[in-house]
Amino acid sequence: MTPTDLITLSLLLAGCGFYLAGTVGLLRFPDVFCRLHALTKADNLGLFLVCSGLAVHSGDWRIVSLLLLIWLVGLLAATVSAHLIARHAHEHEADAPEEENELR
Amino acid sequence: MIGFLLDGLIAAGLVGLAYQAVTSRSLFRGIIHFVVFGLTMALAWARVGAPDLAMAEAAIGAGLTGALMLVAYRRLVEDRRDAPVDPGPAKSRLALPIAIGSGLLVGVIGLSALFSDVEPGQAGQAVLADLQQVDLGNPITGVLLLYRGIDTLLEVAVLLTAFLAARALAGSESGTGSPTTQGPETPMVGALLAVVIPLTVLVSVHLLRAGSYEPGGAFQAGAVLAGAGVLLILSGRIAAAETAGLLVRMGLLAGLVSFILIGLTPLLHGGPLLALPGLWAVYFIETAMMVSIAITLVLLFAGGGGLKRGKHG
Amino acid sequence: MDSLGLYVLAAAVLFGVGVYGLIVSEHLMRKLFAINIMGNAIFILLVAASGPVEGAPDPVPQALVLTGIVIAVSATAFALALMVRLYQETGQATLSSRDEGDDG
Repeated sequence: MTPTDLITLSLLLAGCGFYLAGTVGLLRFPDVFCRLHALTKADNLGLFLVCSGLAVHSGDWRIVSLLLLIWLVGLLAATVSAHLIARHAHEHEADAPEEENELR
Repeated sequence: MIGFLLDGLIAAGLVGLAYQAVTSRSLFRGIIHFVVFGLTMALAWARVGAPDLAMAEAAIGAGLTGALMLVAYRRLVEDRRDAPVDPGPAKSRLALPIAIGSGLLVGVIGLSALFSDVEPGQAGQAVLADLQQVDLGNPITGVLLLYRGIDTLLEVAVLLTAFLAARALAGSESGTGSPTTQGPETPMVGALLAVVIPLTVLVSVHLLRAGSYEPGGAFQAGAVLAGAGVLLILSGRIAAAETAGLLVRMGLLAGLVSFILIGLTPLLHGGPLLALPGLWAVYFIETAMMVSIAITLVLLFAGGGGLKRGKHG
Repeated sequence: MDSLGLYVLAAAVLFGVGVYGLIVSEHLMRKLFAINIMGNAIFILLVAASGPVEGAPDPVPQALVLTGIVIAVSATAFALALMVRLYQETGQATLSSRDEGDDG
């Protein structure tokens, strides 16, 4: 196993660990805001680690820039959708308990 | 070995998600499970070596079908808040035996096809050999437009017919219930759209262009473009209108009309129907089909006959 | 057994699940899930059982399935429109006649 492989492997495993943490948070945290907090922070870092692992593995600038683009777009989409969900939950905190139950 | 494990995981995930989708407690959960089922299907297509199908499944099968189901769910829920939406599963003693029997039937058919001694895929080999002479690197685009042109033509017709039928069913009074977000505008949505919409258009044009020599094509490109339209509707930039303007009508018909016109021209000088006169015809028809597919899917999502500027537009 | 055999088996089980869901579920949208799952099972079967040509799956069944995916979404959209209209007319989204006697 070359040093490059080792770096790739450790980055990928670290990324998977963050995804696992984010998913556990999504499933176990009590309310919408805590869940979003777990999901956005951990998963964005996980995506970054997975992307950088793959970038190290490929070693091709075209693929590296594509992976960077993927990470940035994913970051943007996660940020905006989390913001919209949180705002909706904040506005409708009182009057929609059954919808929250459905998501659980 | 790891590949086989991954395939096993995907196959088990498909079965579990499908079971959850048809039996889960609430309908909303069912929709979510169905969407994830579609995405897992896309993974399965990628694993069996069919990237065209993976893209089509992710964009059309999971994305747009899911969006259409969520819109329909919302119309069911907001129409009558108090009514029971989901009566839950019925009891049937015959269901399980019939399901096992039909599953066994499909399994026997599939396994006997897989392990029979018949030389597989003669048509596919003929296609690959034939397409070497034409400058068309993606055999699936070749099959869709050069060999099974009539099917592809009718497929576009079916999509248009489905839209017209859904439009006729919706009646005139329900055209206003468009799936726009409520509440005040936030600057973040504008920032997202400013980045994502040009990127989506770029990706769909790339998919269209790539469709002739690598995975991609009119259907995938049209579905991605429709995704941009769905985003614009959700953010209130465009909204459903009662009737379609000239541009929307032309877009709806572009694919079908150009396919028919180009397909009919060989008849003038004694050629067979739908024998496309060259590669330019393939590109032209694909472009027109992309526009038609995108507009039809967006209108199905919007639930209206046409499009207009939305309240945030 | 190889991966293609695995997917053929998965297709068989999925078809069974689809048939089961179609019989058991009352709500029309769930019946739609079931029909779509059955369709997807047949799609997998078509591609996986056709056998590879030059390393990739046979392009002819792939093109058939691509057509099938688009037709499936057309039919689903039409069926959803029918269901919404039925709900507006009758107040329920089922074809059940449970509470009106046993004539269906």
